[in-house]
Amino acid sequence: MSLKSIRVAFERLLEAIALVLMVSLTALVIAGATFRYLGNALSWYDELASIGLVWLTYYGSALAALRGAHIGVTGVVNAMPAKARVIVAVFAEAMVFLFFGMLAYYGVQVLLVLQGEYMISLPEVPTQLTQSAIPVGAVLFMIAEALRLPEIMRAARGEGFVDLEIKEALELGAHDGKSKAAGGLQ
Amino acid sequence: MTIALMLIGMFALALLNVPIAVALGIVATAAILVIQGPASLPNMALVMFDGASSFPLLAIPLFILAGAIMNVSSISRRLIAFTSACFGFVRGGLSMVTIGASMFFAEISGSAVAGVAALGTILIPAMRSRGYSKEFAAAISSSSASLAIIIPPSIPMILYAVMAQTSVVKMFVAGILPGILGAIGLAVAAYIQAVRYNFPVEEKFQLSRVWRTLKEAAWAFMLPVIILGGIFGGFVTATEGAGLAVAAALVIGGLIYRDLNLRDLRKACIDGAVQTAVVMLLVASSALIGTFLTEAKLPQALAQSITGFTSNPYVILLLLNVFFLILGMFLHSAAAIILTVPIVMPMITAVGIDPIHFGLVLTLNLAIGQQTPPVASVLIASCAIAKSDIWETTKVNLPFILALLVVLLLCSYVPWISLVLVHLFYGSTG
Repeated sequence: MSLKSIRVAFERLLEAIALVLMVSLTALVIAGATFRYLGNALSWYDELASIGLVWLTYYGSALAALRGAHIGVTGVVNAMPAKARVIVAVFAEAMVFLFFGMLAYYGVQVLLVLQGEYMISLPEVPTQLTQSAIPVGAVLFMIAEALRLPEIMRAARGEGFVDLEIKEALELGAHDGKSKAAGGLQ
Repeated sequence: MTIALMLIGMFALALLNVPIAVALGIVATAAILVIQGPASLPNMALVMFDGASSFPLLAIPLFILAGAIMNVSSISRRLIAFTSACFGFVRGGLSMVTIGASMFFAEISGSAVAGVAALGTILIPAMRSRGYSKEFAAAISSSSASLAIIIPPSIPMILYAVMAQTSVVKMFVAGILPGILGAIGLAVAAYIQAVRYNFPVEEKFQLSRVWRTLKEAAWAFMLPVIILGGIFGGFVTATEGAGLAVAAALVIGGLIYRDLNLRDLRKACIDGAVQTAVVMLLVASSALIGTFLTEAKLPQALAQSITGFTSNPYVILLLLNVFFLILGMFLHSAAAIILTVPIVMPMITAVGIDPIHFGLVLTLNLAIGQQTPPVASVLIASCAIAKSDIWETTKVNLPFILALLVVLLLCSYVPWISLVLVHLFYGSTG
């Protein structure tokens, strides 16, 4: 498999996880509110929903890393000459791998300590499962960052980094602009 | 000393384009290693978990999702048709329509970029075809979209309320009057320009047309009634209200108007997850720094040194306004809230500024920050749709930014504007 097809497959995987988490979290909140309104509150709903947000944070972060969506300050780096920019980009990537490497390592250590502990409101669910989002998410983040590395280095050598929001808005302007304007004001 | 080194390290890393969440995390982890020793390092994994685990913050992905669903259904088009029937007769009618539609959209969605994407893609081409310059079209779309974070619900307000440990619902209520004032300010600025450039009138005012478009948009107008009514009436929490918003948008877009398709919904969910994760990763890694801030009592020290210089809340609000306006040029609103609120909060309470009032002032600053380049998410999205230059558009946008600044000053120095409804609804802000 080429790097490109690996990247596409990995993106599909992360998208599927993000989709499942988002849909189930929404359903959980709606169900929780409904049950409470009917006077039959689910005791485990707040705790589970909060954990769901953590999962959404770390699995979603990996996808965000693959898309280059995490918030950074590009102005200074873009003003540098290309050579300096390449060095800075290598340094910045090293920081990302250092941090998530530590998060993965200590995340696993925490899992070992949590052996035999369970959620407060759902005693069937081991805390190891809920906390697993940290090391798993960190590893996925590093894979995503590694897959995007060629793109990052190309941007560093070339014109510099483009904000993802600008890129997305440009796409919006190109596609939606036409289709929506066509059906626009009646 | 350590704290000073940490702050310098954080800024240095951030300026080198290390993602801000990672810059915070690296510096905090280094501090754990130096101050507490290697045995404490596993704590970082625990704090990164607990920092992201929050029920109130769950409202963020849900409001993002609700906005995205509105975006792909015909709800936004119906809102535009109705506001066009109401305000189209004014000189420069389309700019009034943009402001009006943005206001309604703001009541369902909490994100200004979503507002630009939904309304700008329809209204900017419409304005172009009626002879408005592309810079003007981009400028008015961009500044009216910033109403989205002032008028409830609002994602920056949710973030602020959680970081400042105050009530999300009361923040929402506090945003109502300033949001309306902001819309009026923009409308005045737009009208002056419309007369100056002789922009066209859209259509004669016909009550029958207003009625017809109102009927077509009636379900869309039910959305804010259900959501805000539920939250303000105390029937649901802000998070549940956000869940309700998604459910209502799905029912109205999917079952009543029947213009949602699964492909768009799937994309809305995934993009919403990514946007949420970006904000939440920052929240989590700021929790790592937070433990050190608390131990070093930096916020308290800052509060003391500033109150030694002046304890006049008006002077402090002025200083903070200048600080946040500059910060807004360089930082995304979520990052600005997460980085500054824990540090300035003790000072705010020390000089007797109401946290709800301050939250609103901060939100207004961030709304203006979204308009001031180089980092100006809403403006950039809007310029991309209009295919206009960011700096040229900013020149045309200046009168609108000025209008928002006037509202900011009013709200800074007349706390009554943000607090009167909170007192009326809940008796107190505490």
